[in-house]
Amino acid sequence: MPTAIQITDLHKRYGATAALQGIALEVPAGQFFGLLGPNGAGKTTLISAIVGLVRPSAGEVRVFGHSVTEEPRAAKRFIGFSPQEINTDRFFNLRRTLEFQGGFHGLPRREAKRLAGELLEQFGLAEKAKLQFYKLSGGMQKRLMVARALMSRPKLLILDEPTAGVDVEQRHELWKYLRDLNKNGTTILLTTHYIDEAEALCERIGIIDHGRIIELGTPKDLIEKYCDSEVEIAVEGEMAPGEFADLPGTSVAGNRVRSQAKRIGVAAEALLARILSKPGRRVADINVKKGDLEEVFLRLTGKTLRESEEAQNGGAAA
Amino acid sequence: MKSRIAFATLILRECYRFARLSGQTIAPPIVSTLLFILIFGYSLGSRIKQIGGFDYVLFILPGLAAMGVINNAYANSSTSLFMARMDRSIENMVACPLSPLQLVSAFVIGGLMRGLVVGLLTLAVGIPTVGLEVHHWPHTVLVIGLSSVLFSSLGILSALWAEGWDQIATFTTFFITPFIYLGGVFYSIHMLPAFWQKASLFNPIFYLVDATRWAVLGHSDIPYWYSLAFLAGTALSSYGLCVYLFKKGYKLVR
Repeated sequence: MPTAIQITDLHKRYGATAALQGIALEVPAGQFFGLLGPNGAGKTTLISAIVGLVRPSAGEVRVFGHSVTEEPRAAKRFIGFSPQEINTDRFFNLRRTLEFQGGFHGLPRREAKRLAGELLEQFGLAEKAKLQFYKLSGGMQKRLMVARALMSRPKLLILDEPTAGVDVEQRHELWKYLRDLNKNGTTILLTTHYIDEAEALCERIGIIDHGRIIELGTPKDLIEKYCDSEVEIAVEGEMAPGEFADLPGTSVAGNRVRSQAKRIGVAAEALLARILSKPGRRVADINVKKGDLEEVFLRLTGKTLRESEEAQNGGAAA
Repeated sequence: MKSRIAFATLILRECYRFARLSGQTIAPPIVSTLLFILIFGYSLGSRIKQIGGFDYVLFILPGLAAMGVINNAYANSSTSLFMARMDRSIENMVACPLSPLQLVSAFVIGGLMRGLVVGLLTLAVGIPTVGLEVHHWPHTVLVIGLSSVLFSSLGILSALWAEGWDQIATFTTFFITPFIYLGGVFYSIHMLPAFWQKASLFNPIFYLVDATRWAVLGHSDIPYWYSLAFLAGTALSSYGLCVYLFKKGYKLVR
């Protein structure tokens, strides 16, 4: 499988501040890749380096084999980019914004008009096509950015917080659209503060902090590696003190027995067998709490994604 | 093919911008010219003797055209690029597969088109109103074109340098406007004392006005080819500097 993004020992310094410190990353073509990290971790700098808006201090970024610094136009031809902050021309209306974007990527005028019409419909913006972007709500502006990124018919779609401020229904529609796009072969690089979004969409996740990729893997692998799942069983009947002491990670509080383990199915089975081994005892209730990416993120960075988002919004407001 | 479409789109975008606002971009210099013709042609003009064998209003007309070209070419590229920097739409263009040469050329061509439209319309106003007969049309277009390229490029440089609209205006207020008024738009430098005649030769806009006057009227204070060479040299070097800065990513790439 060809490599969509290949990053080798990428460094970026702003004066004394190291924004990226030796990033190495490969994203195979066709993958839905999620990049998660706290505010200021280097996500946007890394994305900006991929699209050619940041000049690396050292290292290299290749997009479908083309170096972004040595052959920028060849590399950029593959990319559609929806930035975190709205960066569209205030002068032009939505339709013309999309048509021009198609033109910048070499789409003939008629083709650009047709695709712009399609995307305006797809993203629920057709009725606003003659307005300038600043007359739209925040969620609509975000949808416009994604639509604009798609005007290049990209092989690599880079979405930096594409659903921030988008309502739940529109967000789920966008997910469906992105899944279809990915199924049809588009490689997608996504950053998000919504844990459900990352879990629902991404085949593989990279967690970045302090300018370094600190962990890479599928959501399932990361959850298994970093999270203990928990089963809690409410028991009706007598329980002897220390009865469960030989089961690792198990504790008793009142009539509840709790067990924590990475492979929770095995632990739950052992626990149930022990509880039901005494006649007259029965199970009143079972609760299973599984680990998630939020917990992985918390363990690795010391923050929750929600805290990161709040810090970012607070920073933006300041 | 894709590259040509991309470049054509960039140019279309730049031209569409000033054409859509023609009431703010094209009309004002034409109205100003008509006012100058009214004041100097029918009111004050009769009290000023001929200069170089031309009625005063006819003598100043090429300078008025040059003034319109300078202001409009500069305003077009500086406003377009500075707005793009402020709303960050320049980042979108930089992230597209467009070369620095294409980006700079599109901004310059936008200014060139606006300069040509304003310059030629200003002269066209003079044909029925003061009986202007253009001496050499191809050289007129050439001089207006080079002037537009020069000031579009300077507009790009100031839009790259500036961090606020006031700095864009500073360049206009403290460089362009005084140099235009001291550049022989309203007089021949031969009317000045010897010291100021020499000092005028250090005013770059003098060459532009003098070259325009020769192309339009066939009259100039210094040989036309000197002015043309100066104009071509400064236009090309300013344009080259813009391309160099875009290639370097100056204030465009972090």
